[in-house]
Amino acid sequence: MAEINLKTLRNQAKKEIEKAKDLKELNEIFKKYLGKRGQLTQILRSLEKLPKAKRVKIGKEANQLKDFLKIQFDQKAREIKERIAKSAAEKEWIDITAPGKKPVIGSLHPFTLVKRKAEDIFQAMGFTVVEGPEMENEWYNFDALNIPKDHPARDLWDTFFLKNGFLLRTHTSPVQVRYMEKNNPPLRIIVPGNVYRHEATDVSHEFQVFQIEGLMVDKEISVANLKAIVGEFFRRFFEKDVQFRLRPDFFPFVEPGFDISITCLICGGKGCPVCKKTGWLEMAGAGMVHPNVFKNSKLIPKDWQGWAFGFGLERLAMLKYKINDIRLFRSGDLRFLQQF
Amino acid sequence: MVFSYNWLQSFFQKKLPKPEKLAELLTLHFAEVEEVKKEGKDFTLDIDIRPNRASDCFSHLGIAKEIAALTNLTFGVPTSEIKEDKNLRSKDFVSVEVKDKNACPRYTARVVADVKVGPSPKWMRDRLEVCGLRPINNIVDIANYVMLETGQPLHAFDGEKLEGQKIIVRFAKEREKIVTLDEEKYDLNENILVIADERSPVAIAGIKGGKLPEIDNKTKIVVLESANFDSKIIRKGSRILNLKTDASLRFEHGIDQNLTEFAINLAAYLIQEIAHPQGGYPKVAQGLVDVYPKKILPKRIKLDLNYVKSLLGVEIPEKEIKSILGRLGFKLKAQSAKLLEVEIPTRRLDISIPEDLIEEIGRIYGYEKIPKISPMASLVPPEKNLDIFWEDLTKNILKEAGFTEVYNYSFINEKDGELFGNKNLIEVENPISEEQKYLRPSLIPNLLKNVQKNQKNFREIRIFELGKIFQAPRFEKRMLTGVITGEAFYQLKGVIDLLLNKLGISNVWYDEFEATPEASRISIWYPKKCAEIKVDHEEIGFLGEISPQILEELKIEGKATVFDIDFEKLQKFCSEETIYRPISRYPAAVRDIAVLVPLEIRVEEVLNKIETAGGILVKDVDLFDIYEGEELPEGKKNLAFHIIYQAEDRTLFSKEIDEIQNKIIKALEEEPEWQVRK
Repeated sequence: MAEINLKTLRNQAKKEIEKAKDLKELNEIFKKYLGKRGQLTQILRSLEKLPKAKRVKIGKEANQLKDFLKIQFDQKAREIKERIAKSAAEKEWIDITAPGKKPVIGSLHPFTLVKRKAEDIFQAMGFTVVEGPEMENEWYNFDALNIPKDHPARDLWDTFFLKNGFLLRTHTSPVQVRYMEKNNPPLRIIVPGNVYRHEATDVSHEFQVFQIEGLMVDKEISVANLKAIVGEFFRRFFEKDVQFRLRPDFFPFVEPGFDISITCLICGGKGCPVCKKTGWLEMAGAGMVHPNVFKNSKLIPKDWQGWAFGFGLERLAMLKYKINDIRLFRSGDLRFLQQF
Repeated sequence: MVFSYNWLQSFFQKKLPKPEKLAELLTLHFAEVEEVKKEGKDFTLDIDIRPNRASDCFSHLGIAKEIAALTNLTFGVPTSEIKEDKNLRSKDFVSVEVKDKNACPRYTARVVADVKVGPSPKWMRDRLEVCGLRPINNIVDIANYVMLETGQPLHAFDGEKLEGQKIIVRFAKEREKIVTLDEEKYDLNENILVIADERSPVAIAGIKGGKLPEIDNKTKIVVLESANFDSKIIRKGSRILNLKTDASLRFEHGIDQNLTEFAINLAAYLIQEIAHPQGGYPKVAQGLVDVYPKKILPKRIKLDLNYVKSLLGVEIPEKEIKSILGRLGFKLKAQSAKLLEVEIPTRRLDISIPEDLIEEIGRIYGYEKIPKISPMASLVPPEKNLDIFWEDLTKNILKEAGFTEVYNYSFINEKDGELFGNKNLIEVENPISEEQKYLRPSLIPNLLKNVQKNQKNFREIRIFELGKIFQAPRFEKRMLTGVITGEAFYQLKGVIDLLLNKLGISNVWYDEFEATPEASRISIWYPKKCAEIKVDHEEIGFLGEISPQILEELKIEGKATVFDIDFEKLQKFCSEETIYRPISRYPAAVRDIAVLVPLEIRVEEVLNKIETAGGILVKDVDLFDIYEGEELPEGKKNLAFHIIYQAEDRTLFSKEIDEIQNKIIKALEEEPEWQVRK
């Protein structure tokens, strides 16, 4: 009797499970057979009343059936869920062309970005970043740098003078002397900072500019070394091989003195309005540290050799981001600033 | 300075490279040629002669010598052999007295009689015009021509107009005046060197000639001056009088004292050749008047060839070094192996140390031929710059908090100086315009102007700047200042809490500002909507709304809230140290509480009460709502808090939490006007 019961039960349950349309129906069927008062549960409960031999046999079969049904239920449930998911996926959709919701973040000024990049490159080559005051005295800005009073060479730097007897530094070079007074060579530093030029502004001139000074001093430092370091800087900064050249120039605090130019990145050296048809863009002034600068920094000139350079950060940023007007940097215009 | 290509060519028999090619050669090895321009049959080269080479290269001869050294072409100086008249003696026409030998180390004069003043020949006029000089008459033109050719400024006097036939080089006396050739009047003083006759100044030495002994059509006797004046005195005089001329430009850079004789002879020769009456011949009087007490001799410099190699970083063959120096007109004497003694021609005022010679060798050899060689240096890692490290971190945090960084000028104008009422302003002595009247004493004025400018394009503005400010007498420091438009005190306070937290500063608090009468700067703030930002007991900055008057004055729409932090002070508190606090393994429970308090009660007071009553099991208290409204009793506001309970060592029982919560309620209700809403 029980045997037949189990077989019938199995077939009946299987059929019902197969026919179940949704999870609710399936749950009802589950209850009907395997719930607390389910048919199979009751059979299992009634086992104890049977004699031992029968109990073992039917018990085994009933438990097998229970396992079997559980698998059936699980399978069916999975099928139903998959079906629901599939039909939902067919109906529900989002318009992926609608705009995303951006978190509000600000932006850093291109000076900061370019300055960081330059600092990273030089720090990787062992240069320490140092800074100095923007309000300077004549000694550090001129005399110590071998630019004597009453000499026409001073005219190379148009200067803002202050009523407190100081001036606004015209270059970052005073920091060369300030640093060498306190630190003995060998040394490698770069000096970023604001400098001021008393001149009218236009698309390529500003009265306040951002400069990066470099200085390397050791026993035997040469022009060839300067070329290697500057070349490496250009390569890493512009992320490509950039041709550059040194040509003679004059700054009283170096001897020999150079102008460093790169092949115009706009026209590739063919000549265009940006490079004034020369194919070259002036990037920096440089040279070998003048013995008088060592002397004024309390160092013995014959013991040391070194080079120095000064880059304009604006030029670097303008080339990197293709900015055509230098005045944008300090305009505070968010339409410009938020592009970085 | 502009040079004539044809003029330069005239010193060479062989053809020079084409103008463009020549320009490139000069740019790479001498000085930048900024422009090459066709001028009729000639070309002009505009060369940016740097101040160190002005002394010998503000002249066609100087440039020609450079070209000769660069191209190795044979270079020849034109002949200027004068025929002196045995019957005339210079000293019968003029005598020269130099009062100050330092101010005028050399004074050379020549006399040419029987001249005929008239226009100069076309070739000379052409050359002058190409170089930007206006032809006047043959005598004046010759003086200018010789200056352009040799670099030595000359002056010509009408010999018959010199009172007492005297030339006296002296400083002017107070209240002396002079009328110059262009009819301008100048007041002279004791700093200005003049050429005078017995009566009065007849020229401003080295700067400009006077009207009195001017050459005119009737001039018969020309007294030529070719002198050397101290560069600093000429520069000073030129500045005092605000008068710059072709002559003063050359003198203020310094000129070779040995040049005067060559130049004056060339001028006398040209007068003889050109300024003659029909059929006649001008007579050059015998004898050069030459006051030259201390003759300048060539310098000698010892040059170590090992040093040349070491400084340039390239081994240039000794033969080539010698050839370069020879082409530049330097005389060489080998001292020993690898050591040369170099004699420098006196015209090269720029060369005085071995490094100067190394520059000459390097540039002629060609910097392009110097290889790139990485320097040898010890593997010392760079030192960390903490100033920049904290600046960078701060900027990153503010950027992530939605702020855009600006860089403003370090100046403010007069109006802003007044508006922001700072008495410690540093004034600029020579501003370009009113915009640079003062150095900025604060970053706020320019930031507010940024707000105003951007308001037409942006509804909400969040900007900051980290930069230097300047205060009298001579003080500069970094400030960190930011603005948000609108009534944004709490927003900005949150930003500062976040910033300081990320910079490792935990003990920040806000103090009410008690205005002292002299604290004038406070006037830019809205009186009761501002606070001092404090860390421990130190004030590091200020936070608050900008006063309506300032906003109106700057035409800013709506409100603006600003923080202004002394970055030097802030940085002292920054710390990279973070210590991990173990996460409690036991769950936290949250209970809310709402308190009705009088309007003037500060959140801080309520918080303190809750924390004190709650004890250590109260992990955190968050204010999540402040409400003032009609439904509430008059003069009251509702504060709602989440109280978070948690223990480090066990799960709290509900009963335990209820007890603490009741304790808190009791403590709050001890205040007569406070009422916990249940």
